Amino acid sequence: MPTLPPQEVSIPPGHGLESVPKIAAAVGIVLLIASFGLGLSFDGKQFWHSYLVACLFFFSIGLGALFFVLANIASRAGWSVAVRRLAEHISITLPVVGILFVPLLIWGAHDLYHWTHSEAVAEDPLLQHKSPYLNLPFFYIRSALYLICWALIAWWFRRQSLHQDEVGDPGITRKLQTFSAPALIVFGVTVTFASFDWIMSLDPHWYSTIFGVYFFAGSFLSGLAFMVLIFLRLHSGGLLTQVVTYEHFHDLGKLIFAFVVFWAYIGFSQFMLIWYASIPEETLWYAHRWEHGWKPVSIFLAAGHFGLPFFFLLSSDVKRRRTTLMLVCAWLLLVHYLDLYWLVMPSHGGFHPHYLDLLCFLGVGGVFLGVLGWAMRPNLVAVRDPRLPESLSYENV
Amino acid sequence: MAQAVMDLDPIERRPELITGSPGFHGITEAVSRPVEWTPPLGWYIALGISMAMLGLFGVSIGWLVWEGTGIWGNNLPVAWGWPIVNFVFWVGIGHAGTLISAVLFLFRQKWRTSINRAAEAMTIFAVMCALVFPGIHTGRPWVDYWMLPIPNQMDMWPQFRSPLMWDVFAVSIYFTVSLIFWYLGLIPDLATLRDRAKTRIRQVCYGILSLGWRGSHRQWLHYERSYLLLAGLATPLVLSVHSVVSFDFAVSQLPGWHTTIFPPYFVAGAIFSGMAMVMTLMLICRVVFKMEHIITMLHFDRMAKLILLTGMIVGYAYSIEFFIAWFSGNQFEYFAFVNRATGPYAWAYWTMVSCNVLAPQVFWFKKARTNVVILFIVSIFVNIGMWFERFVIVVTSLHRDFLPSSWDYFTPTFWDVATLIGSFGLFFTLFCLFVRYAPMVAMAEVKGVLPGSHPHHGEEESEAEFEAPPTAATVAEAAKEGAEKPSGAGLLAQFEGPGELLKAANQVRKAGFKAWDAHTPYPVHGLERAMGLQRSRVPYLVLIMGLSGAAAGMLLQWWVSGTAYPLIVSGKPFFSWPAFIPVTFECGVLGGALGALLGFLIFSKLPQHHHWLFNSKRFEQVTDDKFFISVESKDPLFDGEQTGQFLKKLGASAVEQVA
Repeated sequence: MPTLPPQEVSIPPGHGLESVPKIAAAVGIVLLIASFGLGLSFDGKQFWHSYLVACLFFFSIGLGALFFVLANIASRAGWSVAVRRLAEHISITLPVVGILFVPLLIWGAHDLYHWTHSEAVAEDPLLQHKSPYLNLPFFYIRSALYLICWALIAWWFRRQSLHQDEVGDPGITRKLQTFSAPALIVFGVTVTFASFDWIMSLDPHWYSTIFGVYFFAGSFLSGLAFMVLIFLRLHSGGLLTQVVTYEHFHDLGKLIFAFVVFWAYIGFSQFMLIWYASIPEETLWYAHRWEHGWKPVSIFLAAGHFGLPFFFLLSSDVKRRRTTLMLVCAWLLLVHYLDLYWLVMPSHGGFHPHYLDLLCFLGVGGVFLGVLGWAMRPNLVAVRDPRLPESLSYENV
Repeated sequence: MAQAVMDLDPIERRPELITGSPGFHGITEAVSRPVEWTPPLGWYIALGISMAMLGLFGVSIGWLVWEGTGIWGNNLPVAWGWPIVNFVFWVGIGHAGTLISAVLFLFRQKWRTSINRAAEAMTIFAVMCALVFPGIHTGRPWVDYWMLPIPNQMDMWPQFRSPLMWDVFAVSIYFTVSLIFWYLGLIPDLATLRDRAKTRIRQVCYGILSLGWRGSHRQWLHYERSYLLLAGLATPLVLSVHSVVSFDFAVSQLPGWHTTIFPPYFVAGAIFSGMAMVMTLMLICRVVFKMEHIITMLHFDRMAKLILLTGMIVGYAYSIEFFIAWFSGNQFEYFAFVNRATGPYAWAYWTMVSCNVLAPQVFWFKKARTNVVILFIVSIFVNIGMWFERFVIVVTSLHRDFLPSSWDYFTPTFWDVATLIGSFGLFFTLFCLFVRYAPMVAMAEVKGVLPGSHPHHGEEESEAEFEAPPTAATVAEAAKEGAEKPSGAGLLAQFEGPGELLKAANQVRKAGFKAWDAHTPYPVHGLERAMGLQRSRVPYLVLIMGLSGAAAGMLLQWWVSGTAYPLIVSGKPFFSWPAFIPVTFECGVLGGALGALLGFLIFSKLPQHHHWLFNSKRFEQVTDDKFFISVESKDPLFDGEQTGQFLKKLGASAVEQVA
């Protein structure tokens, strides 16, 4: 087992990275209170939409990280051990964003979801048909189930992994491997139905079987991009410089590239099939995203979320250089926010960016960063994972 | 240290990929044996049965052409019957090869090396079977050229807004690219067969096919880069091909067909079925050809896990489809699904669900994943289940037309069954011939994952122990003095292992030689650094040709649909870019793949008719288990005597003057 310098693998006391999250959390809480106050007193509908996008954005980063953990454990991956712990830390933000999400479920559902209006359901045979599924009690039960599942999985995998840092028992790895496959199944089902419930049902008449996969693709992509950004930040703070090498960045870059393509593939499949069949009840959803100022956004999304990063990431130098990697990952997070904005906001109306969008994003983001800072206090790398040496010594061929 | 880590996993004590440590030569022997020996009786029996079935295929197609499609059960309302079911089934089977060769390659899954060659061959044969069906399904194969964009006297052009046209491009390009990928991988192994050939015919045939390959690292460099790029191209290609097949159904408005999850669902199903077919075939082949030590239980364990994974994805798609069919509130959609599960074809639906979703669940248990009998039974179940999946999709959606008066029950005829069985005949005949005449396992790749295939780390630091090589200056001086150059073409030095070779290569480079090369049975990593080689420029060619291919594809469709043959199709604009994306993409991949092949050939100067190294008998072992350095006499530093001494000092076990 190679010995890693301890000042490399955990944030030393008094390090800049210790105070930043605290400040972020404080600012975040203030902004959250401000946005709740402003939003609920002036424009509740706008506020809940903005707040939904913000929460979904940070959910998706956490979910992407959680999938990274589960998939790498399930596939017994060796290369990723050096970077997996950070994903474990990021995934533990899920329960906190989940708590922030509860007010939206309770007080925002009426402003967001048309199917909660009983007078609308009474006049609409389709909504009546869907009411066994789309009704508030069942919606709450399901939402609670998703949040609890994610929290439990994230918490348990991170705790076991941290425990291994202390005892170094390879049996823990075996145990994690055993549970990772069922956890992936739970993950797949909950993420699919969460995306149906929280996003797709904003337009309760519309449906698309691929929708869960679309949400997953964007989530995993943003989770990866966020991981790279944090690693770059840690490197510049003098941490993990001997652990996470350019080989790991290169591999993460390749995964990001693959999921840029995968996202486009899923997005195009959905669009093309609906465009081609041209059934009004389906095309309406795209029509909403082609009118009232949304057309340029849709075009920008296709170019910015696929075209630009695709050509940029073709070169292996881009994936191995700090600046280029940082640029492309920050860009991807930006367009991922836009992607979620594009999914949610048309149900509120035209494309009118609002100050509440920014306020909610910064508020939830501040809290998110605060929690992440707290989560990152233990070791930043699974120091006694039996496969760590393989990960430390591996090279791209 | 690093070596030990790579080979032995600390958690599972990952068993060695190849058991019994056969060594490089052992691999060559084991893999070449089926090609060189009289095949076992079982092979003749298998070939005989397959050819009988192939004969049935010929008769069925002949009768079809003579009589017309009326010999099939296709009729209204089920106008798409078994031909398209068989087509989709075979295309699906053809996906595992690329998954194993390309996707697992990109994921650095080294266990794939034992099975990828056979899986790729299987891909090609399955796609050939698939391609037969679009060719014959109209019963008029003489008008097949209508599907291709060929200028003709009727001034007629293909209709690029039809997914059936996308299929033509997707499947034929998939076939081409798979063939290129397979052939590129075969080149080093064909060279092995060439060098081992006992008869003149074999020598000439394998000699032509191996293009003059001599395991030079200057060639390996481009070979590996091209292979990686082809893998990178084949991965999205494999996704696109079955997606395009799914578009045949999903772009329609038919309940049960039109659903957005079809593309990824079809891809997962294709990989699932292909994996099962690989498993069935490999279980048989390893016994018949005595390759239990190369295709081990480890490989089946991994394949079983992939089958479980893709089976779960397929199950996910079944469930989501069902849920959304209800959720949509569309009564036609909902009826289609309820009818599948409870209507006249319920037996087919539940066969599908049991075979595809329930049967693979036994693979949760390691005991099942390593039990040959269970593996075989489940793989057969999956093969059957996946055929039924396509049957269920095609037939159940059609047999309940929008007009209840048209409702009917589809019954296949004798010729439907004969054509299906016959297509298996084509597949198995080709497969039998393949295992007899081509190396069934990728020898060069397997050698690269054997323990001891890596030159040990830290060699570069231990240079000090060598005597100082003749410096460039002293040798050049000697050359200036007019030392007579020997008439031979150069020197060949043999080394016993990759480590020795790597050390020596470092020294040769430092001595300042230019016209020299290192030759190995498999690509030895680190050699490019030791030899001071530049990165391969193949990627640029691939990028340029890929972009040109895509642009050409888009231009063709724009010109055909907008200018040459403007036809209004379902109210779509002449320039319907979303409908043109699939063909544009396929053409881009074709361009890129041709670029990778051309780049490999051009940069590694192949095919080459003759090379002076082939005059050495000893050099034949380069494709087996020996490592060489060759120095050409045209090198300015070359001096027969001194250079030979120098190579000897570097640890060569033999140095030979080659004329």
